Formats: sequence, structure tokens, C-alpha cells
Amino acid sequence: MENERAPASVKFPSSDCLVEIRGVSFKYNTRTILDNLTLGIPRGKVTAIMGGSGCGKTSLLNLIGGRLRPSRGQVLVDGLNVPDLSIKELYQLRKRMGMLFQHGALLTDLSAFENVAFPIREHARLPEAVLRNLVLMKLETVGLRGARDLMPWELSGGMARRVALARAIVLEPMMILYDEPFTGLDPISMGVIARLIRELNQVLGITSVVVSHDVNETALISDYAYLLGDGRILGQGTPAELQQSTSEHVRQFMDGLPDGPVPYTYPAKNYLEDLFGGDGR
Amino acid sequence: MKMFQTLGAAVLQAMERLGRAALFLYEILGNSWALVTRFYLVIQQVYAVGVFTLPIVLVSGLFVGMVLGLQGYNTLVKFGAAQSLGLLVALSLLRELGPVVTALLFAGRAGSALTAEIGLMKATEQLAGMEMMAVNPVMRVIAPRFLAGVISMPLLAAMFSAVGILGGHLVGVGLLGVDSGAFWSQMQNGVDFRDDVMNGVIKSVVFGVVVTWIAVYEGYDAAPNAEGVSRATNHTVVYSSLAVLGLDFIMTALMLGDV
Repeated sequence: MENERAPASVKFPSSDCLVEIRGVSFKYNTRTILDNLTLGIPRGKVTAIMGGSGCGKTSLLNLIGGRLRPSRGQVLVDGLNVPDLSIKELYQLRKRMGMLFQHGALLTDLSAFENVAFPIREHARLPEAVLRNLVLMKLETVGLRGARDLMPWELSGGMARRVALARAIVLEPMMILYDEPFTGLDPISMGVIARLIRELNQVLGITSVVVSHDVNETALISDYAYLLGDGRILGQGTPAELQQSTSEHVRQFMDGLPDGPVPYTYPAKNYLEDLFGGDGR
Repeated sequence: MKMFQTLGAAVLQAMERLGRAALFLYEILGNSWALVTRFYLVIQQVYAVGVFTLPIVLVSGLFVGMVLGLQGYNTLVKFGAAQSLGLLVALSLLRELGPVVTALLFAGRAGSALTAEIGLMKATEQLAGMEMMAVNPVMRVIAPRFLAGVISMPLLAAMFSAVGILGGHLVGVGLLGVDSGAFWSQMQNGVDFRDDVMNGVIKSVVFGVVVTWIAVYEGYDAAPNAEGVSRATNHTVVYSSLAVLGLDFIMTALMLGDV
């Protein structure tokens, strides 16, 4: 278990890592989101990136996917430094990645079937019969073969995310990035998505990176977890190790404590001064 | 001093936006070549952008032509030139009203719809999703819509003018008693293909480029939330309308330069 003040370090040898973040800093305008971050995502495992809202989890995912550029450091995916890639090389790499967005990001003018078929139609020229079978197999994997003709607005939140998951795996990627896959789902849909993430990892050997602040579901499916805060790693280890951590940061997050290192109260001047000596605002 | 600072900041911001919009247009044109082999994407958008705008263009064209017939007759009859009504209606529509009113209608109907659609695709991460599927959204979403707008505008303007002339005929010949033969023959003799028809076509192509460019850029640049999409849609209609009217004056001045 990493001490909360100890420098972040890669716990896995480079050869075992599909993704390596080396000394990455990222700023949004003038605000530092990630500060000299170093971590590794092991191949074939489910790795969770957890942390409070605005801690840089999604930014990290976007750095891995090449949608953002770091102000410093290297983002290595399968040995390639993502910020150095040309657009063409980046698109080649993305064909080997899948991403599940927070709300699915299904194309609203296409049916569930056509959404799953979309990446194949864009990147391959398959006979229609082969394409149909491939799409139906992926939809069957997520249990929605029967919903193939439904339009995105006819799908529940959980179903939309399952269709999006089928679309993410249709090109058989080496890695899937999950951005808050459990947000806004009912417990049944949450369980379904969690099971699918785990099964896809086990059956297809896909490396999975799950960004989430849903502690319980994420802990159930992940092999390893990082806890981010203040642009750095506050804790890391297996979910069981994190549960046993004595770090205040980790405890506050894992137990959902309202006050702690992340304060309940937003910084303000003295309460009484504010009430009785206010400037009218 | 403060006023100059504010003014300067606003001008700099506007120039920055214009620069980004110009780079965006360059990117669209660069990606348009890829659509040669996938022209069906453009055809789909011509249907969505052009065909759905057709009813409003036809109805507006009819009424504008009818009003031109009424107003033109009442003016011409004072000079004993009522038989030239066909020429007046045709020239007004082909040179000015066809391209300009069609562009204004297009901005309100199709331009705002394009902005809202692209803005919502951005807000719901559909464009980001495409990028992560290694699909360039500028090629797949923006360029087909841009080309569809550029193709549709002159066709819509031509139909506006054609229906407008019929409207003028309906009022002038049908209601006010202008001779039908004089209506058409004056038009045939007085309308020049290059100076009148082609100049109108050039105007509508330019308006097509500008209005669709503004619409797709505003959508692509919209803040990814409800307020951002609403603001972008509003910008599209306002900027497009001003650009059409301003460019119309410039182009008219250039086209009439040798008169």
C-alpha cells in the first residue's frame, strides 16, 4: 500500500504494462489537473482509476485516448507515446482501443444494430451477411440481440450503455476505456455492466481501465485500483488493500466521509465577519 | 480608457474566432475530397438540409412573387408600363430576392437545425465517440452537411425565383389584367443569362458557403451544454442574416461595377 505522501511510482514492470503514464502533468487553463503523475496499467487486467469529481480521472482517460495532450511527460500505450503520434498513427491506435462514454454516446440517428455496425462500416468492407452476424454476436454478448432495431431514445440508460459496449468491442480492441460506466444506473443495470466488464476482461483478455467514483461496484470488478486526488496518486493497491488503508485520504473516499482531507466547507472568510460586516454580497 | 480596452478585447476575440472559423473551413475542404467515394453521405444531407427546406422556400417564393406583382403593377401603371411587369418581377427575383430571401430562410430553417444538431452531437459526446472510434467527425459529420448546404442553396434559390415568377404572373395576369404574352415576352427580351441569371446563381452559391460554414462552425464550437447549443443556434441565425445582407451589397456593387 502506497503511503499518501509517498511519491507515486509504477508498481508493475514495463513489460507487463499496456499503458504507462510517466511524469505526466496536465493543466486546464491555469489549473493543474494532473501533477507529475506516474502509473502503469497492467495488460489483461481490470484497473480502476478512482477519485472525487474533478480530480482528473476523465482527463487521464482522454490523455490515454489522445484526445488531450499533456503539458509534460509521456503517455505510452503499447509502447507508443501517444502525444507524439500523427493523426493517422493516432487513428490506427484508436482502432485497437474501445471507449465507453458516460452516457453511451450512441449516434442518435442510427438504430442499435447500426450503431454497433458503425465502426465496421467505417473501417472495413465486409459482406453484409458477415457484418450482420458479427453485429448480432456482439449484441448477443451484451444480451441485446432482440433490441437490434430499437433507436437510442427507445433504450433505457443501462441498455444504451450495453449497446455502446457492444460497439466498443466490435473491432476486438486490446483495451477498453470506461468513463464512469455506472453513473445514473439502477442497481440491476449497474450489476449487469459490472458483470460485462469483468466477463469481457476474462473471456477476451481485454485490458480494461475503469474510471469511476462508485467504490463498491468498482472494487468488485477491479484487479488493481488507483485513487487520484490533487493531481496525484493518493493511494493504490488491490481493492482489498485499499479497504484496509489507514491513509486519511483513502479512508475518506472509501467510506464516503463528508469531511476530512477534502473539506466539507468551501474556503471562505470568517462567518461572523461575513454576516455582520458584509460588503452587501 | 476602459471603453477602449473593452472594445479592443472584443475585436481581438472576434478576430480569434474568425481565424479559428477559417481554419475550420480549411479542414472541411481538406476532408471533402474523401467524400468523392462516399457521395451518398452528401446525398443524405441534401435530402435533410435541402428537401426539408423546400416547402418554406416554395410558399415564401409564391407570396413574394405575388407581392412583387401587386407593388410592381401599381408603380408601373402610373408610367403606362404595366406590360413590363414580367420583366420587373423576374429581374427582382433573379438578381436579388431569390438568392437573398432564400439564404435568409435557409439560415432560419436549415442553418439553425444544423447548428443545433451538431451542437447536440457534441454535448452528448457523439463527436468524441466518433473520434475514439478512429472516425474523423469533420469528414463524417461536418463536410457532408457543408457540401449539402452549398449544393442545396442555388437549387432552392432557383425554385424560389421560379415560383415567385409564377406568383407574379398569377397576380399580374390573373387578377390585374396584364397581357400574358407581354408578361413573358418582356421577360424573355429583358433578362440576360450572364448578367442576371448567372449573377444570381453566383450570389446563392456564395450565400450557401457562408451560411452553411457559419452553421456548422457554430455547432462544432458550441459549449457542450443546453445554454451553449441555444446560444450557438441564435448566433447562426443572426450572423448568417447579417453576412448575407452585407455580402449581397458587396457582390451587387461588384456585379454592377461596369454599369
